[in-house]
Amino acid sequence: MVNWANFISQCFNGLVLGALLAVISSGLTIIYGTLGVLNLAHGAMFMLGGYAGWLAYTYSGSFIVALAAGSLFVMLVGVVTERLIIRHFYSRPPEDQLLVTFGLGIVFVEGVRFFFGSLSKTTPPPALFQGITDLGFMFYPTYRLAALGIVAIALLVLYYVLYKTRIGMIVRAGIEDSVMVDSLGIDVYKIFMLVFGIGAMAAGFAGIVNAPVVSIAPDVGEAILVQTFVVVVIGGVGSFPGAIIGGLIAGEIISITSMFNPAYSYVMLFVAMTLVLVLRPHGLLGTAGRE
Amino acid sequence: MLRQRPFLVEILTAIALIAAPFVLPYLGFTPTTINRILIWGLLGIGFDLLFGYTGLLSFGQSAFFGTGGMFAAYMLTETPLENTIVALFLGTIVAGIIGYLVGLIALRRTGIYFAMITVAIAEVFFFVEFNPLSEYTGGENGLPGVPTPNLELGFTTIQFDSNWSMYVFFAFWYFVGLVIALRLVRSPVGLLLRAIRDNPLRAEALGHNIHGYKLAVFVIAAMYTGFAGGLLGMMQGFMPPDAFMFATSGEIVIQTAIGGAGTLFGPLLGAAVWLYLNDLLQTTLHLGASWKLVLGIVFVLLVCFLRRGLVGAIADLYHMATREKDGARKVEPAPAPAVMASSAPAPVRAVPDPAPAGRNRAIDKSGQILQATGLTKRYGGVVANSDIDFTVDYGEMRGIIGPNGAGKSTFFKMLTCEVPPSSGKIVFEGRDITSMGVNDVCQLGLTKSYQINQLFERLTVRENLAIAALGELRGRFKLDLFRSLSGVPGLDEQIAKTASLVNLTARLNTPVSELAYGEKRRLEVGLALATSPSLLLLDEPLAGMSPQERVETVALLKSIAQGRTMIIIDHDMDSLFELVENVTVLQEGSVLVEGTPEEIKNNAKVQEAYLGGVQGEMA
Amino acid sequence: MAEFKSGNKGMGGISRRHVLQLGAGVASATFIPGLGTIGWAYADDKPAIGTWPAGSEGDTVYLGAAVPLTGTYAAQGADELKGWELAVDHINEGHELMKKFAPKIDKGLLGKKVKLLSADSGAKPNNAVQAEQTFINQNKIILMTGSTSSAVAVALNKFAEREKILYVAGISGSNDTTGKDCVRYGFRQNFFGQTAAAAIGPVLVKQFGKNRKAAFMTPDYTYGHTVTKSVNDYLKEHAGWEMVTNQVSPLGTQDFSQYLTNIANSGAEFLVNVNWGRDAVLSTQQAKQFGLLPKMTLVIPYQIPFLAKEVGPEITEGVYAATDFWWTLEDKYPLAKMFVDAFQKKYGYRPEWGAENSYVSFAQWARMVSEAGSFYPVDIIKQYEKGETIPSLIGDVHYRPEDHQCVRPVIIVRGKAKKDMKNDEDYWEVLEVVPGEGLMQAPDAFGCKLGDYT
Repeated sequence: MVNWANFISQCFNGLVLGALLAVISSGLTIIYGTLGVLNLAHGAMFMLGGYAGWLAYTYSGSFIVALAAGSLFVMLVGVVTERLIIRHFYSRPPEDQLLVTFGLGIVFVEGVRFFFGSLSKTTPPPALFQGITDLGFMFYPTYRLAALGIVAIALLVLYYVLYKTRIGMIVRAGIEDSVMVDSLGIDVYKIFMLVFGIGAMAAGFAGIVNAPVVSIAPDVGEAILVQTFVVVVIGGVGSFPGAIIGGLIAGEIISITSMFNPAYSYVMLFVAMTLVLVLRPHGLLGTAGRE
Repeated sequence: MLRQRPFLVEILTAIALIAAPFVLPYLGFTPTTINRILIWGLLGIGFDLLFGYTGLLSFGQSAFFGTGGMFAAYMLTETPLENTIVALFLGTIVAGIIGYLVGLIALRRTGIYFAMITVAIAEVFFFVEFNPLSEYTGGENGLPGVPTPNLELGFTTIQFDSNWSMYVFFAFWYFVGLVIALRLVRSPVGLLLRAIRDNPLRAEALGHNIHGYKLAVFVIAAMYTGFAGGLLGMMQGFMPPDAFMFATSGEIVIQTAIGGAGTLFGPLLGAAVWLYLNDLLQTTLHLGASWKLVLGIVFVLLVCFLRRGLVGAIADLYHMATREKDGARKVEPAPAPAVMASSAPAPVRAVPDPAPAGRNRAIDKSGQILQATGLTKRYGGVVANSDIDFTVDYGEMRGIIGPNGAGKSTFFKMLTCEVPPSSGKIVFEGRDITSMGVNDVCQLGLTKSYQINQLFERLTVRENLAIAALGELRGRFKLDLFRSLSGVPGLDEQIAKTASLVNLTARLNTPVSELAYGEKRRLEVGLALATSPSLLLLDEPLAGMSPQERVETVALLKSIAQGRTMIIIDHDMDSLFELVENVTVLQEGSVLVEGTPEEIKNNAKVQEAYLGGVQGEMA
Repeated sequence: MAEFKSGNKGMGGISRRHVLQLGAGVASATFIPGLGTIGWAYADDKPAIGTWPAGSEGDTVYLGAAVPLTGTYAAQGADELKGWELAVDHINEGHELMKKFAPKIDKGLLGKKVKLLSADSGAKPNNAVQAEQTFINQNKIILMTGSTSSAVAVALNKFAEREKILYVAGISGSNDTTGKDCVRYGFRQNFFGQTAAAAIGPVLVKQFGKNRKAAFMTPDYTYGHTVTKSVNDYLKEHAGWEMVTNQVSPLGTQDFSQYLTNIANSGAEFLVNVNWGRDAVLSTQQAKQFGLLPKMTLVIPYQIPFLAKEVGPEITEGVYAATDFWWTLEDKYPLAKMFVDAFQKKYGYRPEWGAENSYVSFAQWARMVSEAGSFYPVDIIKQYEKGETIPSLIGDVHYRPEDHQCVRPVIIVRGKAKKDMKNDEDYWEVLEVVPGEGLMQAPDAFGCKLGDYT
């Protein structure tokens, strides 16, 4: 199966998968970098986004509406979760934070199952992006190409928010040194709430973008969560550019390995992560701050 | 309490294990659920040593659970081996070996990275079990046909083939596992594990090879886990591939957290609650598919409202009850240290023999104890120290001053080998220590007290001092897992002596977190002293103290200076000049001038470059 | 604490040796309930075994189902559970359909009511065993069931053998379940890899001729590998078909793009998708996205309940599949019609084959019990092993005494176009009902050795 056409196609697959992982991971990484909370419910946020988008699509019939409504809904879920629960865990040991987010993940997944059942739901891609595109070297689903574009735009927006706005500056400063931000007289809690919301929204957004590709079911976020961790660790915890590079690397590793032996693709991912950690303690672009 | 009644916990546990089959069924526990709780509890003991005691949160226990269980199951189903206990121990050993290899990789990192590496490695193990080794492990089908436990006695073989007889078998091994763990946590190693949890850097600086201890406890946890895996196979007659899944690792973390980490019993209690809820929601309340939703909600509530797990909650209740009962008695010891502190100089002078207990070399030797030549440290483009030549004689008291950013702390860090110099050479007592580790030089008798307190906050003063003293008494690494702390010769004397030196004798059993700031500062110096250093570096020992505390501490330092070699950094020049014989002035990373306090005071360069500029700061 | 202290003082006088002896005493005392049961009661020819006779002494007997209600197989699990529920209802009310299977039932089984207990297995063998163990302890169940994957079926098979309690498999497609992992105490009603391949192979050859090129998608576990091998062997030997690629994906894969890209570049004309559950839904949907469908003809050798409902008729149109049951068989088989009607009335949709297998396996068990006139498991096993011709929803079948596999027809269906659907569940058109006899391998071909009766 190893030939040029196939190799290029697989690189392309890796790009699409990697871009998606990059969005989800950037959400996870800014939450962890700013709040110091490793959000084990992040996969559930991804899933919630898919369901919110599907519901919005069912009522409106518009993919754009689904995208907007779904993202905002998950952001709201994130903000409320932070305000009601996560906030009380900042002063507690990290393992308590892991546990509570893990528990919340179960509640979200099983709550969705309770209301919508276990059968998977399909959100069709917008009419504009249906069908297949001939790329010359291969045929590729048009929507996946579009998804690549949508994700790229989303990453640019996130970049703009993080690097060009006051909130973004504060968030990034908080990742470097949360004590300093505290002493600047900024209401840290408000920032934390917002960051959790934005991070959750990134996952939810990815969930909607992914819904026409992979039909959604309550468990859809579970597998993606572990991959997201790997991305964050490879890229460097707390680093937004790291999440993007890590996402693309992970996507390519999975795709290219599967050309030779699909069964090994995830193992290679973990091997790569372990290698990175042994050789570069804080990930490719991470700083020594957080452990 | 444990000291006075050494077997209380063991005896109570034995009674509870014997009573359990008569009591628990009435509470709705089925025999198999009870057996399962024991298996998870046993696995949890190992995990608690790793997580609760040492602070290493591993999400990779499934690898050892599966490996130990699969190996034992394979031996019993595919080879002529019939002795289940032999198979269990073989599985345990294999899990231990695997644990050692995994530990070599995973323990290179800490915190979240450590957790992630363990996840990744466990996932790889799952894959290996599922695919390449499926011929041996049965792939997704697991290994069926594992026999129930037996005990070969030579003349006859006892079969543990009913639920309750298996309970006897499991309870026995749980008890053995618990007794071993209790011995371990009461041993010097047990204390060092908690030291690693609270402050790994300081534990290392006090002369302990913490990597070695971490690896040891990682292997021990892997062995407990592997043994429990073997028991699972025998209990079910089937070794499931699920044992390798992430869910297994997750469950043990959950159960330990529900029960309470750092208690050894937490995981057992957590397992009981978790499995009981499982049964209750599904088979008693018949919630169908929504059982997991309810379980999730219950779990989130438990985590929100129980801060240290069930054992923690029970302990809090107990403390509340006892505090009310003997509240009057509790109040008494509190004011005592305040009195002591204000009259500090007096008892210090009363100490008859302030000489260090261990290494007395410093006293009789003469000449240079420390020579540093051409020491340079660069951080990227920034030069923190450049080309420093520095020597100290035996028995000397040396002061180092310099404005902020002069590179004093970096210089100290190089001398204690916390950071390697970019170039240059350090010779301590005739030995080149330039490339040694911080624990090695501490073992040689060179240690430091820190500018910012580096204490073991959750431990008592006695335990803090013990951690320091053990470095000298036991060497950098020793696996005396079954020796009790009180069995370490010379430990109690050393603690007592150091405590009286730093005037904390009355506070020996107080947790560090309850000490006043001045007391913590004294303990900080005490930790360094308890290692019996021949060269003691003190990094701003007077930092943050009130004038009254400074007077006392200076007196303290004077008294411990007899027969020791010390180098002191401080900003309080009046106090420093009173203490030391010679002063080295650092400026912008290099030596500006050296001389007696008088010479320094009158040196024009110093006055110009240093004293004039930072008058305000010194006030 | 005061009590603790005084209690401890008392303990102080007892040496550790005493404690150990005390422990040993309790140990031997606790032995007695376990070992004792062997000793007491009942005639010598029927010693107590498993949960017998304790499980059938009350006025109700319990059946335990460990079925995935959460996780990736939750949809299929919920469907299966409905089949068992309906069967138990029918046994208790003496429903006429149930009487066709087991004429001797009379509002209950041997004068006792039947009650179904169920717990979530999450499709994990360990959880399934755990749930059944709890049922055995709490309710002394006399029959176990459940599985949507062969891993669970094999685990419960072996568990049944150890506990000496009967087990009838739920959905399980691996040849191993009644092959190398067969047991005396386990029975399987439904079709499996070998019979699926032998049934769908000739249909494909008849429709498409010889020397074609097929790409396979195989989930990476025993079920997947055995089904792929069975289908490929048949097509290769009988019609010279070539396997141009075999894409093996891990269980739980979400994004199949890498595999589909490989297939797109392989020049295949047929896509044989052996994936199951959600993996099958996703891989099939994505094959469509990548334009492999309808360019290639999709073949699903082991049909997945709800597949068509989840992916939609646009994708299943023209797809060939082998299955255990499809509801339109009601036109030909009166029992099937009774079942579909009863099921639809109760649950509001027409049953898929998971529910059918559940219902039929319970009904056949009820027949065996009522014919044997005993809950004694050995009697029931021997009743099965008589190999008598018994009814199913689609004609007469029998169990093979050698491997406890039901010899039953396999249904070949083809997906209907949306415009041809007569109602919103009319996804498949039945092409053929292939009789079971010709499909079965020799009883010992997959290494089945049944264990002892006791």
